[in-house]
Amino acid sequence: MSQSLRPYLQCVRSSLTAALSLSNFASQASERHNVPEIEAQSCPEVLLNPLTISRNENEKVFIEPSINSVRISIKIKQADEIENILVHKFTRFLNQRAEAFFILRRKAVKGYDISFLITNFHTEEMLKHKLVDFIIQFMEEVDKEISEMKLFLNARARFVAESFLTPFD
Amino acid sequence: MLLLDYQNVLIESLLKERFAGGPPVSIDQVVSDFDGVIFHISTPESKSKILVSISIKCFPELVQYGAQAVMEREYGPYIVAPESGYDFSVQVDLDSLPEDQESKDDLVRRVSLLKRNIMAAPFEQAFDEYHHLAEEASKYTSESAPQGVQEGGETRSIHYREEEAIYVKASHDRVTVIFSTVFREETDRIFGKVFLQEFVDARRRAIQNAPQVLFQNQPPLELEKVPGVNRSGSNDIGYITFVLFPRHLTAQRRAEVISHIQTFRDYFHYHIKASKAFIHSRMRKRTADFLQVLRRARPEAEEKERKTASGRTFRVQS
Amino acid sequence: MASQTPAVVMDNGTGYSKLGFAGNDSPSFVFPTAISTKAPAGGSGGSGSGRPAVANKPSFLTGGAGPGGHLSAKRGTEDLDFFIGDEALSAAAGPGYGVHYPIRHGQIDNWDLMERFWSNSIFKYLRVEPEDHYFLLTEPPLNPPENRENTAEIMFESFNCAGLYIAVQAVLALAASWTSSKVQDRSLTGTVIDSGAGVTHVIPVAEGYVIGSSIKSVPIAGRDITNFVQSLLRDRGEPDSSLQTAERIKEEYCYVSPDIVKEFTKYDREPEDKFKKHTVTHPNGRSVTVDVGYERFLAPEIFFNPEIYSSDFLTPLPNIVDTVIQTSPIDVRRGLYKNIVLSGGSTLYKDFGRRLQRDIRHLVDARIKASEVRSGGARSGGLDVQVITHKRQRHGPWFGGSLLGQTPEFRSYCHTKAEYDEIGPSIVRRFALLGGPGST
Repeated sequence: MSQSLRPYLQCVRSSLTAALSLSNFASQASERHNVPEIEAQSCPEVLLNPLTISRNENEKVFIEPSINSVRISIKIKQADEIENILVHKFTRFLNQRAEAFFILRRKAVKGYDISFLITNFHTEEMLKHKLVDFIIQFMEEVDKEISEMKLFLNARARFVAESFLTPFD
Repeated sequence: MLLLDYQNVLIESLLKERFAGGPPVSIDQVVSDFDGVIFHISTPESKSKILVSISIKCFPELVQYGAQAVMEREYGPYIVAPESGYDFSVQVDLDSLPEDQESKDDLVRRVSLLKRNIMAAPFEQAFDEYHHLAEEASKYTSESAPQGVQEGGETRSIHYREEEAIYVKASHDRVTVIFSTVFREETDRIFGKVFLQEFVDARRRAIQNAPQVLFQNQPPLELEKVPGVNRSGSNDIGYITFVLFPRHLTAQRRAEVISHIQTFRDYFHYHIKASKAFIHSRMRKRTADFLQVLRRARPEAEEKERKTASGRTFRVQS
Repeated sequence: MASQTPAVVMDNGTGYSKLGFAGNDSPSFVFPTAISTKAPAGGSGGSGSGRPAVANKPSFLTGGAGPGGHLSAKRGTEDLDFFIGDEALSAAAGPGYGVHYPIRHGQIDNWDLMERFWSNSIFKYLRVEPEDHYFLLTEPPLNPPENRENTAEIMFESFNCAGLYIAVQAVLALAASWTSSKVQDRSLTGTVIDSGAGVTHVIPVAEGYVIGSSIKSVPIAGRDITNFVQSLLRDRGEPDSSLQTAERIKEEYCYVSPDIVKEFTKYDREPEDKFKKHTVTHPNGRSVTVDVGYERFLAPEIFFNPEIYSSDFLTPLPNIVDTVIQTSPIDVRRGLYKNIVLSGGSTLYKDFGRRLQRDIRHLVDARIKASEVRSGGARSGGLDVQVITHKRQRHGPWFGGSLLGQTPEFRSYCHTKAEYDEIGPSIVRRFALLGGPGST
């Protein structure tokens, strides 16, 4: 793990843990509704200050807390065109399976690659620190996966090219 | 599967079965091959006469580059008048097959290579032209060579797909084959670029004797005077140049080189797709891993059944 | 671009895959839906098909061209090293490869393998550039929409195919029956009896839509018939009672009799006419002769009298069909009785359709009579029962796909790559009904 990654993840971990103090909160705008306030954005008084944690301009996390829900958006490192397309493919693949992920938001917040929405119902059902673990592990692994895929692509391209040209030899 | 076959598997297996004495049934199949080629395999007259017709987009161009002669050589007595709607037909009579197994196999191979052979004409012509030019050039030093010898022959263009073409040009020390290819999708374009870069580098790194490969978005110099070339330099269009050197053009290697280079475009696109498929399976695995991690966040479900020492079970009342 | 090319029709079943081009009357390729891959080598990566180790050494370090397998193992190219269909089975017979069946009970079970299976089907066998062709795929009844989405994801994202239509096999089997002379109106209402190698389904279809709640399946199909023939051969102590021989006998000699008791006496009266001899030639050149006797009509009889074969499944097929139709909505029942369509290899026995029609008619007539008696004198107009047998039964769903795939309006029913890119995989949850009312 590189020098700056550890403090970055540590920072995300503690901020997220702090933000995940959620309570059941019925909607003030419409009766008998209970919506994630961070998505509804209808009552400014229940929204807390959003927070950006950024490792560099390509990698940052945006945490938007509110009284009953937290939205976490992640911008995944993309150094070049290839990583860009791989990140795009991967996040789309995940979003397609959002149903299974409970906390995955089907659409990323603008400017970010992937978003999660955690509500008080999730924290009641699931262990809070494990949810934080999941987000952190996701961030770690997604970078690894992207760079592995890129390595694979290069290795495959080389192999394919050499295999095609070898018969000429 | 790494390399694509040169022959059409359906024609091959069909003929093989029939030649080996398979039951005489009537056949009527219209099948595709790469690059919009359409085959029609039928038994119009009797069940023992198999007619194989091919329709290929660039047939007029190929005829211009001597396809007729190549086909004459390959199929000779089997050629029949082309079926209407198709460009070229051969007919095999099962009752008058060659006797020995070897020539039977050879016939199967030839017929299943119909597309390859028809497409081979411009390549063969260019290879011949190269030999001719090389001979001419050997009479001069490089400075004194007349214009025609130095510049090489005309550029043969084969518009084998709607938007893509192959250009073949011979000169006195090489034959240049240029593929133009279009990427219809962003992912393909980027993957394609990675692949092509490796094609360009492969020679430098590992296979010294391979043809030189160049890749650019602008049409290369050889196509300067060719009409109908897209010169927009857009990222979606790529020009891949193979420079075949004399060592590739010798008589004994020529057939193999022609077959192989023809498959380039489909090979290339096949592997882009295959790597996307592989990336899909990686993503599936990774997604499953993530789900596993997330599942750990759920506290253990209901407590399992507990048993007393005597084996009786009881449930905690909630 | 893809204006002239014929559509590709792929019917991937549990046992066999049928591949070909629309417009033909038979598929170009029929082979087992099997894929054999390199068995995961011990220690390398370990995760099997998931994430082979990615080589990070540049090629000059691995020493250029080594032996092929060694080289590809280093580069993480195991995913290209596989065979499908008949080649898969022969590869698996040798060392190093293990065979897998990516489809179970009609549904795709392993998407990784299926994606590679399709890739090889398209590029090696059909030899088409998927960007140039429209594709018609089939799915079993009650396929979850998620599976459709996954299919679309593969077809559009990996292969960039020009357009895609996914049809239910039973509906295609109905369309295939339009070639029969007995069918006057091209309706998509009917009962499909689909019997393949593993299982027999009875599927009611009303105006192109499957009535999911009434589907019934019968655990008796081709494989059971083969086993039954084999057991009869064994009991008699025939010189050759291998599974292959049993299968050949089943395919060549079996037929359905109207009444087994009468058939037995017929065999006793004219044995020279009824008993056959089957010659088996072994690969080593020796050949033996096997007598073929009562199994000729007894084997397919297990559909109609399952008790002679199985002890736990006892409902005859005609009763199942009758129950299926009786549990369907009342307003379509008449159409379901009138158009009972056979599909699949195990429905090809001579007179199978005739016997089925007779037996179902008996059940229906008995019921009508009973209700006439109960109602005290009211007369019923009767009910038409018709079982359709046609020439394309064996690959019914494929042929139906070929028929519909060649119609000029087929393309307008497909979802195109552009539409997919615009809307996403959920687009394939709905397809306009191909060949339904309004189309020619």
